[in-house]
Amino acid sequence: MGRDSDRPVPDHGLDQPNPAPLVAMRGITKRFGSVTAVTGADFDLHSGEIHALLGENGAGKTTLMNLLYGLEQPDDGTILIDGDPVSFRSAHDAIEAGIGMVHQHFQLVPRLSVAENVILGAGEGRRIRLPDLTEVAETVEELGRRYGLGVSATSLVTDLSVGEQQRVEILRALYRGARILILDEPTATLSPVEIDHLIEQLQGMAGTGTAIVMITHHLDEVMTAADRITVLRAGVNVATLPAETTSPLELARLMVGREVAMLSEVGEAEAAANRAGSTSAGVSVLTLQDLSSASEAGARGEHARDFFDVSLEVRASEIVTIAGVEGNGQAELEAVLCGLSEPASGRIHLGRADVTDAAPRELLDAGVGMIPSDRYRHGLIRGLSVAENLVYDRIDKPPYGRRLWIDPKAVAARGADLVGRFSIAVRGPSTAASTLSGGNAQKVVLARALGTDLQLLIAAQPTRGLDVGAIEFVWNQISEQRDSGVAVILITTDLNEVIALSDRCFVIYRGRLVETPLDREAIGLAMGGAGSRAEGVPAR
Amino acid sequence: MNWGAVFGAAAIIPLLNASIRLAVPTGLAAVGESLCQRAGVLNLSLEGMMLSGAYAAFLATHYSGEPWLGVAAGIGGGMFIGVLMALFSVTLKTEQVINGIALVLLASGLTSFLHVRLFGVTAPERFDPMQKLEIPLLGAIPGVGSVLFDQSPLVYLAVALIVVVSWTLHRTQFGLAVRAAGDRPGAADAAGISVDRVRSAAILTSGAMAGLGGAVLVVGQLGLFAQNVTAGRGWVAIALVIFGRWSPPRVAAGAFLFGFTDALQLRIQSASGGIESDIPFEFFQALPYLVTIVVVVVATARARDDAQPESLGVPYIKGARSS
Amino acid sequence: MTAPVKAMDPLDPPDTDRDAARLAAGWSARLSALGLSAAAVAAAFLLGGILLALAGANPFQAYADMVSGTFGSRFDVSLVLVETAPLLLIGLGLAVAFRARVWNIGAEGQLLMGALVGGAFAIYAPIGTRAVMIPAACVVGALAGGAWGWIVGFLRARWSVNEVISSLLLNYVALRILEYTIRKPLRDPVGFQPVSETLPDAARLPDIPGLRTHIGLLIGLGLIPVVAYIMRRTPFGFHTRMMGLNRDATEAAGVKTGRLITAVMVVSGAFAGLAGILQVMGPESRLTGNISPGFGFTAIIVALVARMRPVGVLLAAVLIGALTLGGDVIQRTQQVPRVLTIVIQALFVLLILVADKVGRRSR
Repeated sequence: MGRDSDRPVPDHGLDQPNPAPLVAMRGITKRFGSVTAVTGADFDLHSGEIHALLGENGAGKTTLMNLLYGLEQPDDGTILIDGDPVSFRSAHDAIEAGIGMVHQHFQLVPRLSVAENVILGAGEGRRIRLPDLTEVAETVEELGRRYGLGVSATSLVTDLSVGEQQRVEILRALYRGARILILDEPTATLSPVEIDHLIEQLQGMAGTGTAIVMITHHLDEVMTAADRITVLRAGVNVATLPAETTSPLELARLMVGREVAMLSEVGEAEAAANRAGSTSAGVSVLTLQDLSSASEAGARGEHARDFFDVSLEVRASEIVTIAGVEGNGQAELEAVLCGLSEPASGRIHLGRADVTDAAPRELLDAGVGMIPSDRYRHGLIRGLSVAENLVYDRIDKPPYGRRLWIDPKAVAARGADLVGRFSIAVRGPSTAASTLSGGNAQKVVLARALGTDLQLLIAAQPTRGLDVGAIEFVWNQISEQRDSGVAVILITTDLNEVIALSDRCFVIYRGRLVETPLDREAIGLAMGGAGSRAEGVPAR
Repeated sequence: MNWGAVFGAAAIIPLLNASIRLAVPTGLAAVGESLCQRAGVLNLSLEGMMLSGAYAAFLATHYSGEPWLGVAAGIGGGMFIGVLMALFSVTLKTEQVINGIALVLLASGLTSFLHVRLFGVTAPERFDPMQKLEIPLLGAIPGVGSVLFDQSPLVYLAVALIVVVSWTLHRTQFGLAVRAAGDRPGAADAAGISVDRVRSAAILTSGAMAGLGGAVLVVGQLGLFAQNVTAGRGWVAIALVIFGRWSPPRVAAGAFLFGFTDALQLRIQSASGGIESDIPFEFFQALPYLVTIVVVVVATARARDDAQPESLGVPYIKGARSS
Repeated sequence: MTAPVKAMDPLDPPDTDRDAARLAAGWSARLSALGLSAAAVAAAFLLGGILLALAGANPFQAYADMVSGTFGSRFDVSLVLVETAPLLLIGLGLAVAFRARVWNIGAEGQLLMGALVGGAFAIYAPIGTRAVMIPAACVVGALAGGAWGWIVGFLRARWSVNEVISSLLLNYVALRILEYTIRKPLRDPVGFQPVSETLPDAARLPDIPGLRTHIGLLIGLGLIPVVAYIMRRTPFGFHTRMMGLNRDATEAAGVKTGRLITAVMVVSGAFAGLAGILQVMGPESRLTGNISPGFGFTAIIVALVARMRPVGVLLAAVLIGALTLGGDVIQRTQQVPRVLTIVIQALFVLLILVADKVGRRSR
């Protein structure tokens, strides 16, 4: 997708500086305890431009924008809007000044309607009564039509897809009169088709004078969407460049501060080699037969989080991937596979055994390893030590314990062993798990699941939020399991991960599985709806 | 025992009238609690709020002789515990279950302490409960009239308040903020709502209503105060919130059911003939509590949708991980 | 559509500095937690002193009276320990429940059921020897208390009925059952008041040699290491702590949390039931309508002040037992209502909550 050439180019390139930008942040510094998140950063934003804010995780992008949006207050520096200095004590002040922010994790209340979410907090302190919700809904839908952000304003947010929820967020900002729109990682949970659609909409909005900041670390989106790009590294603004004069390689160098290899270029070739080397798949281990999490009639709406009629077979020594954009039923599927909830219909077989209604205990005992998608909720107990976390699912089994006692020496020994084998960076196995970094926390989850002989591994979003080093580690561990004969079912939203690991790939879209070839284009399209590009785009 | 005195045709209208009267203190507390829980605060101090309100109302009425002053004092007494509840649950963000229970104990201790200190072991004289106010014309309707429109003015006030809370929750900015703060405080915060302020306001409202409930008990019905006079009504009220699936009208309906069983057991007790009676009147005394447990179980077991506020009981700490 | 291009991130910097700091904080943290509890208790006494002054007493004199009236003689100490015994037992059970974040506030009812069923057994069972009768009645009382607790656990596990509500409401039900039983079927026919017959001698607890405290206290003391061992060294205790920290992860780790909640309720109910039957066989000697002056509620404070640690429960039970008796003392000597001690107990908990926050912020 190329740049939208029909759109009037804003008349404020670097060569002819505009004396009064819409937003000017000057010498901004923000510290959290002993950590300085942003150091003396400058940032300008003009009306009608899409300004990408690029940087690695932890570079200070989101902090800088939280400061502009009033969620945090700078320790040093000034913020000017239309040339006037402002000091926002809360998001409320920023909203008053015409700033809207769409967070990476949507800030919507699922059980309220779209219209209620849109007016939430808008009239705080001024009026007692709520405005007429029917009128609000009409206004919202009208705004939606104007910007191509179609959504039904009377539906409950819980019934909307992720893409629709994002539209609600943008509409909310516009409804409140935002002239400045900040989007934090807006593409993180969208399918490729939805991303294209979003960028079109943003360009349309910029065309009407809205100033847009897009926080991202995806270079390709920056190149497609942005007019100007500011790169942050370790809290410092290292460059602000017009998009026409830069290249992805230059941006990557600026982000990291050195020459870099592109991950995706490594990925594909290696993955192909990987697969070629792996032994061919063996006997059937896991069979899902017409599995549904709800009856079709009982489902709440077309976008409910349920899944339907899932049939699938995973054999020994293969990785079968279920790819898909978040919110398409994979979380519910994960819960059913892990024994945390029961399906409404269909059967699950593990080998010959029917495990449809099995509890986690039976599955674990049968050699099923689980890497849950929410590792802090389902995979780690922060109040226990690392060693205890490494054995807590088998504490009543020899050698760690029996029904009536625990052998702390065996627990400690197991902890030390796994800490070494999985190179978990802690001082010792008795360290509290609450001190673990994200990557090391995931290694603990991995070590507990993989540190024993498995026949099936369920890995859900195993690298979410991890840095590259940890991602590689996790990928290697999973493919080693496959190579040693384990059947692996991988649930992921990450296209790179699909390509790097899968032997076979299914895409889950609105609760239904489609088998796809191992091809970026095909998977990307299927993630946004069945094969054809047009289908992922809302027709409302 | 004469069962006709309990269930006879002549008894049924006074029974229903008494049901409403007895439902009011619990109902006020329960409806206030439902607002508080919708804002995400599991306010277990409710019994303490009622007790504190009851005692403040008693003191004010006893010394001034003016029941309406007692009502105002009762509201203040409930809000006193509310301030403490907000201080702990919202400002300090402590475990709501623990500080709630501790505040019940504090209120129980403080009211008993003051009462013994001020009046010694001999109870002070009763004052006359507030007079009934029969609404002209409506009160004359046979049956319905004497059930609904021949009540203490506090009953009418309570019904009006319950309607107002219901309306507030669904039709006002504050109500929307409450619902958002109880489900997704992070989202409410991002929308520019001060979650702490909303939750504190909800707790104080709950304190005011529970305090009023205590005042109604003392000023409108008993005319006296005894140690722990609320006798678990605050706990029943919390149960009724669950029974009513966090919806004020349904919670109020639950309160009527409680009031009915309470009126029934009082009736049976007085008809049974005291300590030597063969009627197991203790069973009927336990009935309001048993019925409350049963209806909560039935309501919870039969509920198809999960009406409980998503962040109920979870302190909101800005910037903390949401999951 | 081009492939998503992602720049390599640098390796996640290890958090070794933070780790070291936290590790060093480990032991000193535990000590400072104890210090904070002590400070909170001291502050509660200070506030109580202000109330004493407001009530027209000399707070210094009142506290001095309290100390000399509770620890001044062996007899006074015996009485404090009589008060301590039920608080210790119930507190141990509640410590287990609260560790699991199962908020059992129905210990009062569980105690009453233990007293009632155990007491009925002691009155009617044709057992003539203490060595058989006392353990048997203890088991019966503990089972009855456990069964009453089971109801709460079952309702929570099966239908997610909030245990705070159900356990509390069941207190009222238990009290009425007890009142009916001693008014009708178990009533002492010659008595004027509704009380049961006196227990046979075989069911009377002997005193600890040298004290005027019944041996129920020794049972409580003996159970401290048992509970400590269970919590630290058995899968049940481990799972209980796990569930208190993170119920979802515990469920995912294959623990049947519903069953565990029920078990925890039965255990804490059994401790309360045991305390109940010991009160009947010890100081009360018969079933009455006021076997418990609210031990089940006071023990909640005991468990919380002890931060759910078994040894802490002993310290807190002695402290609060003495405080309760001290209330009687100052009511006599200073004409201050004894319920003041309930205010002080509530302040213990509230101030410990404050101290925890202060401690966490300063760390």
